[in-house]
This record gives sequence, C-alpha cells and structure tokens, in this order.
Amino acid sequence: MKRTVSSKIPWLAAFAVGAAVVASPVLAADFGPVPTVKVDAKKAALGKRLFSDPRLSGDAAISCSTCHVPQKGFSDGLALAKAYPGSDGFRNTPTLINAAQKAAWFHDGRIGTNLNDVTRESITETYSMNMDMRLMQERIKQDPIYVKMFKDAGYGEPSNGSIRKAIPEYLKTLTSRGAPFDTGKMSDAAQRGFELFKGKAGCSECHSGPRFSDDAPHNIGVPENPEIWSNPARHITYVAFSMFMGIENYMNIRRDVGAHIRTHKSDGSDIGKFMTPTLRELTFTGPYMHNGVIKTLDDVVDFYNRGGGRDPNKDPRVKSLGLSKDERANLVAFLKSLSGDPLTGPEHVWKDKINVNYAAIENWLKQRN
Amino acid sequence: MKKSKLLSLAIVAVSFGFSGFGLGSQAMADVNPPLAALGPPPVPHDNPQTPEKVELGKLLFFDSRIGGDASVSCADCHMPKQGWGFNDPISRGYPGVIHWRNSQTVINAAYLGKLFWVGAAKSLEAQAPGAALGGVSGNGERDMVEARLAFIPEYVKRFNQVFGDDWPKVNNVWKAMAAYERTLIHKDTPFDKYMRGDKKALSNQQMRGLNLFKGKANCVECHNGPLLTDQKYYNLGVPRAEEWSESGLAQITFRYEQYAKGVTEELYRKIKDDAGLYYRTKQKSDMGKFRTPPLRYTAYTAPFMHNGSFFDFDEVIEFYNNGGGSNDFTDGVMAKNKTPLLKKLGLSDQEKADLAAFLESLSGAEIKMSTPKLPPYAPLPAAANVN
Repeated sequence: MKRTVSSKIPWLAAFAVGAAVVASPVLAADFGPVPTVKVDAKKAALGKRLFSDPRLSGDAAISCSTCHVPQKGFSDGLALAKAYPGSDGFRNTPTLINAAQKAAWFHDGRIGTNLNDVTRESITETYSMNMDMRLMQERIKQDPIYVKMFKDAGYGEPSNGSIRKAIPEYLKTLTSRGAPFDTGKMSDAAQRGFELFKGKAGCSECHSGPRFSDDAPHNIGVPENPEIWSNPARHITYVAFSMFMGIENYMNIRRDVGAHIRTHKSDGSDIGKFMTPTLRELTFTGPYMHNGVIKTLDDVVDFYNRGGGRDPNKDPRVKSLGLSKDERANLVAFLKSLSGDPLTGPEHVWKDKINVNYAAIENWLKQRN
Repeated sequence: MKKSKLLSLAIVAVSFGFSGFGLGSQAMADVNPPLAALGPPPVPHDNPQTPEKVELGKLLFFDSRIGGDASVSCADCHMPKQGWGFNDPISRGYPGVIHWRNSQTVINAAYLGKLFWVGAAKSLEAQAPGAALGGVSGNGERDMVEARLAFIPEYVKRFNQVFGDDWPKVNNVWKAMAAYERTLIHKDTPFDKYMRGDKKALSNQQMRGLNLFKGKANCVECHNGPLLTDQKYYNLGVPRAEEWSESGLAQITFRYEQYAKGVTEELYRKIKDDAGLYYRTKQKSDMGKFRTPPLRYTAYTAPFMHNGSFFDFDEVIEFYNNGGGSNDFTDGVMAKNKTPLLKKLGLSDQEKADLAAFLESLSGAEIKMSTPKLPPYAPLPAAANVN
C-alpha cells in the first residue's frame, strides 16, 4: 500500500532546506504555521460529541478521548497506549492535532487514504475499540440528542457512514495555533535551535513542512520497549495485530516491524521503519517515539546526537552529530517553541455530560424503526 | 462398528423430521416418534471424545478470555446455577448490550440436530463460535482468542496433547467446548427411569400428566421422541418480549439484529417482533417460527419460550390451554403463520396440575458444577529477533 505523495506536501522543498545549510526566508516559510482547514461547524460539533462518547466501543467502556486526551495534546502521556479492555497497547498514542493533514496514519503509516478509514480502523479493530458498526449505528440512533444533531448537520438519520464522516470533520478542527514559532515570539535559544535544526543537526531532512513531518517511514534505530515483550497483555495484542497484518514468524519475533507491514520486503530491509512524527505540540505529548521509550526532549536530542540507535537497516542519514551541550539545549528550546495553545476549550472538547444510558423510545410499537 | 451404527440411528431419530418428514405432523400424527428414555449422545466422527479434551473444554467454557473484553465466558449466559441458562427472560449478553433471546440450557444440547432458537448452527462445534464471537453475546474475535491462548502455558500444553497444536488453534477451542458439552447430559430423570421399565418412577399424578401429554393436551404432537422435541419450527403466537417496548438497550439490540440478519430496509422499518426462522430462510411463511424446545431439565430453566415470556410451567400450560396466543406473525400484521395444531384444550385445574407434575419428572437432580481454577497468562520466553 504505497501512498501517493500528495502535491500539498512540500517534501521536495523540505529536502532542499535540509540540504542547504543556510536557510533562506522563503524556504523557512514552508515550515509553518499549520494552515487551518475549512470545516462544517455542525458536522464538526457532532464529531466532537462522538469523539468523547464511550458508546462507540464494543463494551461501551472507552471513547476516542480515552487515549486521545485533549489535555495531553490528544495523546495520553503514557509510553504505551491502553487498549480495549482485555488488552493493552504496544505503541505510543500519537497526537491527533494536525492529524487531518497527514498523508498516512498510524506509526506504520498503514492507512494512506483518509480519516474516514482511520476512524473505521480505530473503532472496529479488536484491540482498539472492538465495535461492530451496525451495533454502533443502532446505539447512536437511540440517543435523541444525536438524532437531532445528525439531522441538523445535514446527515439525515444517524448511520455508521455519517459517524465516520463527522469524526473526521471534528479532527479537522484540531489545528495547532499560537506556538512561539508561528507568532514570532521564539527565544534567542530557540532561534539558534532552529538554525541547527535546518543545518548541522539535519533534523529537517525528515521533519519538514508545517507539521515537521515528511509523512514517510524511516528507521532511526529506536530500541525496542521491553515492556511489550514482558507483559503478556501487550504482547498478545501485538500477536493478534501480526496475524491481521500477515507478519511472518509472529510467535518468535520480539520486535515491532513497523512499516514492514506495508511493503513486506523479503530481505526485511523495511523492518523497523516508522512514520516521521510531527514535532508540533511535543510539550504535551511525551513520552516519545513509536513505543514511548524516550521520556524527555533532552533525551530525544541526545539520542540523535549519538547517531540514533543500533539497527542494520538504519537510515544512513542518522549519524553522530557532535552537538555541544549548548547546541543541544538550543535544539530543545526550538522544539518547545513548536507547542501552541492547548486545544482544551469548548471549541475543541465536548463539555456537556453525555448520558450514556439509553432511554426507551416511547410508544415504540407505533414508531418506525 | 456396532456402536457407531447405533449412534447413527440415534442421530436419525434425533433429527427426525426437519427435511425428510416435513409433510406436516398433522397428516402424520400417528407416526410421531414415541417418547423414550435418552441414550448416549451422538458424537461426530471428526471430534471424538477423550477425557483430556473434555477437561480442556471445561476450562475454556468457563474462561472469560474467550470473550471480546475478557470479561464474559460461556458460563456467564449458561450459568450452572441457573439451569445452565440465564434466568432473565432475555439473556444478559455482552457488556454494554443486552441479548435479544432467552438463553437456552446447555444440558442435553448434545442431542440436538441444530442449535440456537431457529437452528442457525448445525453442530455444537458451530454453535460455540456463533456465541463466543457474536456481537451481542461473546463479541470475541478469532485472532485475538488465538493470541490470548498462546500466552497461557497450561493451554499451550493441553492443546498440544489433545490436538497436536504447536500453538492453540481457535477452531480446536470450539471442538473442545463441544466435547465438554457432550458430557453435560441428563438421561436419568424419573421419566427415563419410567421409560426403562421402573413403573414406580412416576407418581400417579405424573402418570395422569403423561397421559394428558400424549392424549387430551396433545403436547406430544411436537414434543416427542426421547428429547421431547420434533426439532421443527412453529409459530405458537408467543407474545412479543416486553423488553422491546420498555428498554432502550433492548430496542438497540432488536434493530441491530434486523440489520445484522439482512432484512430489507422496508422490513427493518416496520418490524416490531422477532421473526424467528424468517431470518434464516427469508420466507414470509417462516415468520415468528421457533424450534420446538426440548422439555428436559426445564425445572431449572425458567423463564420459558424464545423470549422468556412465561415464568413457570403454570403460565406455559395456561398458554396452551388457551390455544396459544397471537403476535404480529399470527394476526396478519406481518404474516399469518400460527400453527393450526394449537386449539383450546379445555383442561381442568386438576389436569393442568397433573401436566405440570409430569413436566417436573423430565428434569431429575440438578447438575451442579463449580467454576474450575483457570490457568494464568505468562510471558513468552525471549527469542531471537529477526535480523
């Protein structure tokens, strides 16, 4: 499942930025701010409510916002995600801020189409929300508030199809704003960090564009998180995932193969590649990396300064940087300047209590289903 | 050889009717299979019984890790203390939902030709995944079940011993469960003893009830053979479940089932009761039909009927004494399928009590079982990573 590089992704320009040691003001503009996306307010409001409604999971125990917590940058603050009850996750929860503008989703980039498919995958997958969408539709139809919201939004009667449209419409509203990088209020240290980012440290090789991601998978040698392989609840989830994805030898491997599931190269050279994450909102979204093995931004910068981790498939561009202590601090200051205002107000978070019990439809015998 | 021949005969006897003798029991009223004691349950050739398999099946039957969120096992809707069924009219179902039909007892299910209320599964091996993976029952998922079992060393060992699996295979879960269920049988009730020649096994009242059962009340028209069911499908006019009108949760499941079972949108919009066999055949003439349930072990399995409409034998008998009831599939609203076999019976109070007494004789001693201690998860040993 090769994704098509969308023309809106200025990866060529970003590559040029990485290659040029001195940034030109024109090219620097490619980094941001993240453009806002036009949304339909009523559809987005509906999606906002659905996003925090636990009735969208099989046993009605978790919602999207259980793992994508608004106060934590729509991540969860955990190294490894929770999962549907009975399971535990084997990857770090990625932020959803700016996710609407990605070209491929999940740490392995396995969904390269659209947010509708991302929503379907997250809701229906056994280890995420384990929801039968037919049942979900009937649950939503039982809530008069939803019936009205769907109608007002122009969707007509609630259906699983329109649920998968409304949630993406809401996700489009989650756009970074107010970061010092965008408002021109970067500290001097952050300014110097930006120059290193584009130059000596070579970060912009992959972390390019307004979201600071090339939307492509790379191997930087992130070490395995041993918690996955020592905790059956997580390892089980990975085994089930492996079965779905056709990973060979899944009972014996003890590593997350990453984007290998997209290309299945027989020589295994694609094993251990993970999507370049956005660098926006990092102050809210630690721990870092696809498996949360790196706790702080200082540690992340140290990791790159050492030339990443050990892996035979490691991208050759990841090598020792020889950054001084000050340079590393400047880079961290720059990374922190990419975090903006928390998206935790009513504009972005459904604030009314959701009554998760279902009232009986009155006069049921006389009503059409 | 001789044994297997006997078994095939038993299978023929048990599955009497559905296809081969489908001409209608009215015309052939005098050839109903006779009431009889139960023999051993049939065992399919591709899933022979072994003590180790039965023991494994028992563990799995009680193991909630088969269910979607690892909180419900078979035994949560087929509870040993509730007649190996569930004592609410509608079964509890998976967390976050309610089921839509009454949970049937597992006891003697081994003899049935088809399982579920409308015969949707053709063997115990096929019934188990239907229940364990169904959206409103176990809501499990095959790969996840296999993955979980691989992390339970005791199961890895036992599946290897019983089935030769390197790692537990999910299809063998169903086989082991079926083998266990073939041990959940009751063939030594007072009725069986009577049928085997112990004339004192039934009280006088129960004897009178038996005669009514075969005679004036004509229950035997459908409740015949050793299982006391012809395993055919009828619409008796059982009233719709009250839950549909009263519970939001039940209304959700009701609509979900219409959707999941693929009815037309037109029908989805207007249907207000469980159309039963129709969902399998999509024939209007099958609307509201459910399989004649066995009457064994019923002393422990109230409430009765596919939707648990009746709470005790007296209510059931009263229903038949009135010639059955009416529902959307009998009164012409959706269909007009009520079986002509049901007529007002004109039973006296004494006769009703006699019938109830006879029904009691079909249950015998309660089959009790405690929850086995389940083996724990353990990490897999470290192994060589690829590259």
